[in-house]
Amino acid sequence: MSSFNDSMKKISSNPVYVKWFKDAWPYITGAVLLSLFQIVTLTTTGNPWGMTGPLATWGAWVYELFGGSVDKWYFFASDNMQTTLKNGFFADGGSVRNLGIVLGAFIATLFASQFKIKKIKSMKQVIAAVLGGLLMGYGSRIAYGCNIGALYSGIASLSVSGWVFGIFLFAGAVVGSKLLVKFFM
Amino acid sequence: MKEVMLDCLGEACPIPIVKSQNKMKELAVGDLLIVQIDHSCAMKNVPDWARGEGYNVEVEEVGDGEWEVIIEKTK
Amino acid sequence: MSETQAGSSIQRRSASSRSSTARKPKPNQLPFAILTLIALILAGLFLQSQGNNMGWYLVTGLIFGYILQRSRFCFTASMRDPFLTGSTILTRAVLAAFAMTTIAFAAIKYGYFKNGLPVPGMNYVVPISLATVIGAFMFGVGMVIAGGCGSGTMMRVGEGFYMQMLSLAFFVIGNFWGAHDFGWWKENVINHGKAIFLPDVFGWFGAVVIQLVVIWLIYIAAEKFHEAKAAAGSSAH
Repeated sequence: MSSFNDSMKKISSNPVYVKWFKDAWPYITGAVLLSLFQIVTLTTTGNPWGMTGPLATWGAWVYELFGGSVDKWYFFASDNMQTTLKNGFFADGGSVRNLGIVLGAFIATLFASQFKIKKIKSMKQVIAAVLGGLLMGYGSRIAYGCNIGALYSGIASLSVSGWVFGIFLFAGAVVGSKLLVKFFM
Repeated sequence: MKEVMLDCLGEACPIPIVKSQNKMKELAVGDLLIVQIDHSCAMKNVPDWARGEGYNVEVEEVGDGEWEVIIEKTK
Repeated sequence: MSETQAGSSIQRRSASSRSSTARKPKPNQLPFAILTLIALILAGLFLQSQGNNMGWYLVTGLIFGYILQRSRFCFTASMRDPFLTGSTILTRAVLAAFAMTTIAFAAIKYGYFKNGLPVPGMNYVVPISLATVIGAFMFGVGMVIAGGCGSGTMMRVGEGFYMQMLSLAFFVIGNFWGAHDFGWWKENVINHGKAIFLPDVFGWFGAVVIQLVVIWLIYIAAEKFHEAKAAAGSSAH
């Protein structure tokens, strides 16, 4: 077993390996590759990349687990949404893709041998996570998406909504930065 | 010539970089600032910022997903 | 140059004594990476065999996650750093992505349009209303406080951050809450708005050219802003 570990160590300290699997890529590499896979996404699934669409459905599944029903809600009333709700997580493309993003990032950190559980450090972080999460969740629902669906895919789809979203996202980020420096640092 | 440790373990972006920038202002030329980071994005943006300022920068991986960014205030 | 490699001029008095001896050597994670990869390939093949295209969703998700993590691509930082640190490096990378994807999407869509087929992805051309404004603003505040936007939160969950796992849970709750109120928003706000697809206004060619020029101008402004901030920063020393 020790020789196996040694050879693993040898691979992960090889300069070529370090360059491709450990060190951070330049941001522009990310930009090029994200664009490339946006094309793959649009052509293979018929829609650009979106992220927040499935989240309300996840909420509905948990709600139903506790005996609630969302059948009367306007948002879930369409036949499409009812089918998605009925068929479950692994039949919903957006849900599967989101799981993929989590696992893709996970495997990237494993290949870099940099995976580490980062615990919550303070009450401030708890409040920040709860408040930030709620704001992002509600905001992305009424604005038809997040930085991916509404901003990135919106703009790339030549929709003016993407630009309007971007302008006010920036305004929100400025206010958020002020709050962060003042209360969460 | 002094060495100052800045513990940013468990801190998310942008706190490590803002703290580093503030701390750097307090230091004198020749001092070293050692920022402890376990946030993979901060491990890129803190050295990027410091290099942009023209400081000497070194990144050391001290454990799985843990880094020390060593910045020498050169001016 | 490798970022983790030493070999520069910095001399530390404490050397690496603290860092190397105080820590136990941890097991290399590469074997786990390979096992996880094999498991994911099998899962992808299984999902694709179900015949509803789920394999593609899983694979594109994995690749998006991988790219985001490796390149540290961060939409939050692209919006926040200009104000907070004066850096627009990520802002410019995001603009570059917008420009490239715009060209690609326009070409694909035009291909369908020219052949008289329904244009794909039009679900993402959504009405502009006060809900867009309020929602985007809320999202902007939230992503900076929570330390990650939509994609960033997902990515950091995969990296092992408990904080972003918590924020994802409340992201879902907030989204569900929004879905609860969605009927009201739709009836009172969103229905008053209008979706604008740029090619409907300027034609396909005009729309792409105008959008690319706008992105380019923002890019130049971002570059100038960065230089100005950097110059102001170093003269203060």
